[in-house]
Amino acid sequence: MIVAAPAAKDRVKFNVGGRIFETTSTTLANAGRDSFFGPLFDENWDLKDSSQSAGGGEFFIDRNPDCFAVVLDLLRTGDLNIPPNIPERLLYREASFYGVLDHVRSAKWGPFDGNRLRYSKSISGTAPGDGTAIRAAPDGGCAVAHGSIVHVYDWMLSEEHPPLTLDHQRVNDVIWVDPENLAVSACERLGRGDGGLGMFNKTSGQLRFKFQVTHDNQVKSFTAGALATAQNPNHRIFSSCKGRSNEYGIGVWDQFTGKQVDFFYESPGWSLGDADRLQWLEERNCLLVATLFPRKDNCYISLLDFRTKDMVWSWSDVGAPMTVDERRVRDGIAMEGNNAICVVNEYEDLGFMDLRMNGGAIRWSSRSRLIMKGRMPDDEPCYPKLALHDGGQLFSSMNDCISVFCGPDMVMTSRLRRGYGGSICDFSIGGDRLFALHSEENVFDVWECPPPPVI
Amino acid sequence: MSNQKKRNFQIEAFKHRVVVDPKYADKTWKVLEHAIHEIYNHNASGLSFEELYRNAYNMVLHKFGEKLYSGLVSTMTSHLKEISKAIEAAQGESFLEELNRKWNDHNKALQMIRDILMYMDRTYIPSNHKTPVHELGLNLWRDNIVRSSKIQTRLLNTLLDLVHRERTGEVIDRGLMRNIIKMLMDLGSAVYQEDFEKHFLEVSAEFYKVESQKFIECCDCGEYLKKAEKRLNEEIERVTHYLDTKSEIKITNVVEKEMIANHMLRLVHMDNSGLVNMLLDDKYDDLGRMYNLCRRVPNGLLTIREVMTSHLRETGKQLVTDPERLKDPVEFVQRLLDEKDKYDSIINKAFINDKTFQNALTNSFEYFINLNARSPEFISLFVDDKLRKGLKGVSEEDVEIILDKVMMLFRYLQEKDVFEKYYKQHLAKRLLSGKTVSDDAERSLIVKLKTECGYQFTSKLEGMFTDMKTSQDTMQGFYASHPELGEGPTLVVQVLTTGSWPTQPSATCNLPSEMSALCEKFRSYYLGTHTGRRLSWQTNMGNADMKASFGKGQKHELNVSTYQMCVLMLFNNAERLSYKEIEQATEIPAPELKRCLQSMACVKGKNVLRKEPMSKEIGEEDAFFVNDKFSSKFYKVKIGTVVAQKESEPEKQETRQRVEEDRKPQIEAAIVRIMKSRRVLDHNNLISEVTKQLQQRFLPNPTEIKKRIESLIERDFLERDNVDRKLYRYLA
Repeated sequence: MIVAAPAAKDRVKFNVGGRIFETTSTTLANAGRDSFFGPLFDENWDLKDSSQSAGGGEFFIDRNPDCFAVVLDLLRTGDLNIPPNIPERLLYREASFYGVLDHVRSAKWGPFDGNRLRYSKSISGTAPGDGTAIRAAPDGGCAVAHGSIVHVYDWMLSEEHPPLTLDHQRVNDVIWVDPENLAVSACERLGRGDGGLGMFNKTSGQLRFKFQVTHDNQVKSFTAGALATAQNPNHRIFSSCKGRSNEYGIGVWDQFTGKQVDFFYESPGWSLGDADRLQWLEERNCLLVATLFPRKDNCYISLLDFRTKDMVWSWSDVGAPMTVDERRVRDGIAMEGNNAICVVNEYEDLGFMDLRMNGGAIRWSSRSRLIMKGRMPDDEPCYPKLALHDGGQLFSSMNDCISVFCGPDMVMTSRLRRGYGGSICDFSIGGDRLFALHSEENVFDVWECPPPPVI
Repeated sequence: MSNQKKRNFQIEAFKHRVVVDPKYADKTWKVLEHAIHEIYNHNASGLSFEELYRNAYNMVLHKFGEKLYSGLVSTMTSHLKEISKAIEAAQGESFLEELNRKWNDHNKALQMIRDILMYMDRTYIPSNHKTPVHELGLNLWRDNIVRSSKIQTRLLNTLLDLVHRERTGEVIDRGLMRNIIKMLMDLGSAVYQEDFEKHFLEVSAEFYKVESQKFIECCDCGEYLKKAEKRLNEEIERVTHYLDTKSEIKITNVVEKEMIANHMLRLVHMDNSGLVNMLLDDKYDDLGRMYNLCRRVPNGLLTIREVMTSHLRETGKQLVTDPERLKDPVEFVQRLLDEKDKYDSIINKAFINDKTFQNALTNSFEYFINLNARSPEFISLFVDDKLRKGLKGVSEEDVEIILDKVMMLFRYLQEKDVFEKYYKQHLAKRLLSGKTVSDDAERSLIVKLKTECGYQFTSKLEGMFTDMKTSQDTMQGFYASHPELGEGPTLVVQVLTTGSWPTQPSATCNLPSEMSALCEKFRSYYLGTHTGRRLSWQTNMGNADMKASFGKGQKHELNVSTYQMCVLMLFNNAERLSYKEIEQATEIPAPELKRCLQSMACVKGKNVLRKEPMSKEIGEEDAFFVNDKFSSKFYKVKIGTVVAQKESEPEKQETRQRVEEDRKPQIEAAIVRIMKSRRVLDHNNLISEVTKQLQQRFLPNPTEIKKRIESLIERDFLERDNVDRKLYRYLA
């Protein structure tokens, strides 16, 4: 530590790559003990004497002064302002040197609000083929599945972690188990035990476990489909499973040991093994399973209680009269707080079902497709998908556009659209960011909220 | 960085990654290695943190993370080997101090090394699944110092020796001890447990085994418990001073096992000082200590409870079966209450009101109270005594307390219906003789009985109170309608509803003519206002106040029974009357007459009659005179009837029989109730259900239940199943 003048004990003077910076130890303390600046205040190091003897009462750092200025400003104000002449990558590297990368991350974008989202950037990949799924990581990174490969990005989006593959089988779904690990479900390869479900470390790309399905004490190969995780009451991972003999249903594994803990065999006609979506409902201690048109000829949504091995709520459109415009449910998501399941059809009409009542009908929302009518895109259409954010905001993707719905009646409040990129085949919210994956151009967009206003 | 490296950089300008000087890594590592040496040698002031941090950063950046990490491991290991030698060399007392000093040095060095290698710690280590620097430093310390062959045993023995010395009363350096133990805990709970705690517990077990053996040979129970408690507290204190809090439960378990569990039976049964003696002498402190200590060991409380229960049952049995004690019912019940109070206060003061002990107390009382078939009678007599005289001048709250205690005894009774029977008799006597001291207390007890046993139990008792009240109104009405009766004898009639009162069908006696005329008037008045009723006179239960003047003109008011009044009235017209004449004139049943004459002729101070010949017993040939010499310092003289307060043997039999008779319909009603709802039931279940239903009031005898079932079958309420003879069917 450097004391420039006895009157100002708090003052610290740095010489960074030839430029002099003056700041205070209070400002530097914002960086935390586990940063480059932490030891400067540690009595072990006794840096005050050594730096003074080194010359001029300055503390020399052999780094880029422009980036230091940005970092220092971040420590002073909590605000991140990157001048156009500094590439982000450079700044991130310098922040990593100083050990303040987390500070940069939390200053880069603000808390999530669907109505404040701004387009941030698009990332193009090199994978051939249509996109399968995109999943936002808890820290703001994401995983993108194309064909048999999963590309994993950290929050800086510039650095890609090693790509993941499960025996090069076609990937069906990806889910983040925690900020470090993600599970990948894939098709099986007959007779080889390849594919199935695996958990990977994102940094090293190592396969940590392969989850197995055991039936009659024999390990069976299976195709894993839609995934879900539960943190409460115990750390579980769920997958829709399809085997060759009896292994149709929902498999349950422990996140830490990778051991199978349960299996919900499907009752005839319920197609649990072909589910499009799984969702864990924490309050009800139930798993939502939705199998939908066009994967199957009919749509089935059910809630499974694993404690009683019971289907505690169910709905299907088998035998329901076809309406003229043939509205079919294309996605469904449970909103536990509202005791409802929200569904969407191919015209992006929202419908609701009451979770407290078994066997009820869908109440279609009167909000009409004011914009979409007659404007079906020329190219390959994408089916609508739904997502929910903790704050009670509902998101629905349709073609090249994502709509935001808010309030008790789920009124549309915003639409997110970019002029190019084609239809959105999947999108995901996490780490205060929204990621949208386009189906044909192998591009995904990142939407984030700007940091809170200056005043 | 060297010039050479710079040149390389320029040559390969377009390559993405810099190919650095092959010696670059070695050179950089040399710098860092030197720094680590300096840090361990307390010579860090000459080091440039910035340079070291940057060097470590560059090594990781240029993919020399592995070299950096393995270099760190080997450098630190070699330093720790040096340190290990220095610690080994320390002699005696200074061993722990040296260890502590080196540990502090190592921690400080580790922090500084981690500061330098922070970038590696944050990036290289997680992605390569290596042990973080801090943890690595602790592991190396563990393997090279704490678990080195020359230190491990010495450290353990030193620590255990210090603990032993402290146990034997020496003062040790607790601060140093705490630091060393803290070091073991910092190295991971496994190290603390394996390298210290395990052995500590073993040595402690041995220590307390020997010590407890020594104590138990020379101490009495109370003293031993005091010592055990002291040791236990010492160990708890030791844990708070310098051990891991998680050890508390383990070490206390050891002390509990060695000092208490292993000797518990011997302690509890110790001659002259064991549990029984503590109970006898009300040693609350010792009992409390025993409770608290035994609570900590498995089956500890069970043992205490069993010993207390058997002692209590034994003394209780003596209490209720000792013929000496049976002479005075009031004393008998009072003793029971005293015993209950004694144990209540033991449980309250020493056993923190433990529910299981309260239950044991209740069970014991239930057990021995019912050993004596006369308990219900005695309890009723106790109440009678209290309500007759004992409650005078006692505050309302105290009355409640006494009544509550009686109710508690009542709760223990199995034959509640027997109590009811006696209570009814005693209450009737109290009401009719106007002897009850407090109406409120009477009613309060009825309310208690009602809450305990239900409406049915007390309805008749309440009916008795109602009768008393109605009778008062009736008498007022009678005198109002007969104003001419102001002169002459006053009649007070209590009209008792048949069934509510324990009346015996007794032969009426001949009333004196004055009285019988008056009685006739009342009869016609009563039947005039209440149609369809029948009055019969219970002369055996009445009493009278009469004025008498004796030979020398001394005047007295005599309070006598109706029978006595009849006898005395005869002497208005005669000087001398023989027993036979009296019997003829009054027609009082012989035993009653004898008793009534005895009370007037043979009791000193109450002898208004004179008997010839003078003797204690009444004979058929005796003759009676008015005792002209009768004197008393009181104007009013109450002449009691000689009554056995307790029931005589035949009377007891009779009451017993009445109780049995009353039980029959109750048992039958219970059987019918059960069968009505079950339709079909086998014999054993029926018996047990009936017993369950009735145990609120009494414990029915299974043979009696069987008899009742048979009687019901005879009367076509039930039938036996044709196939299974054990089954009964209800016939609607």
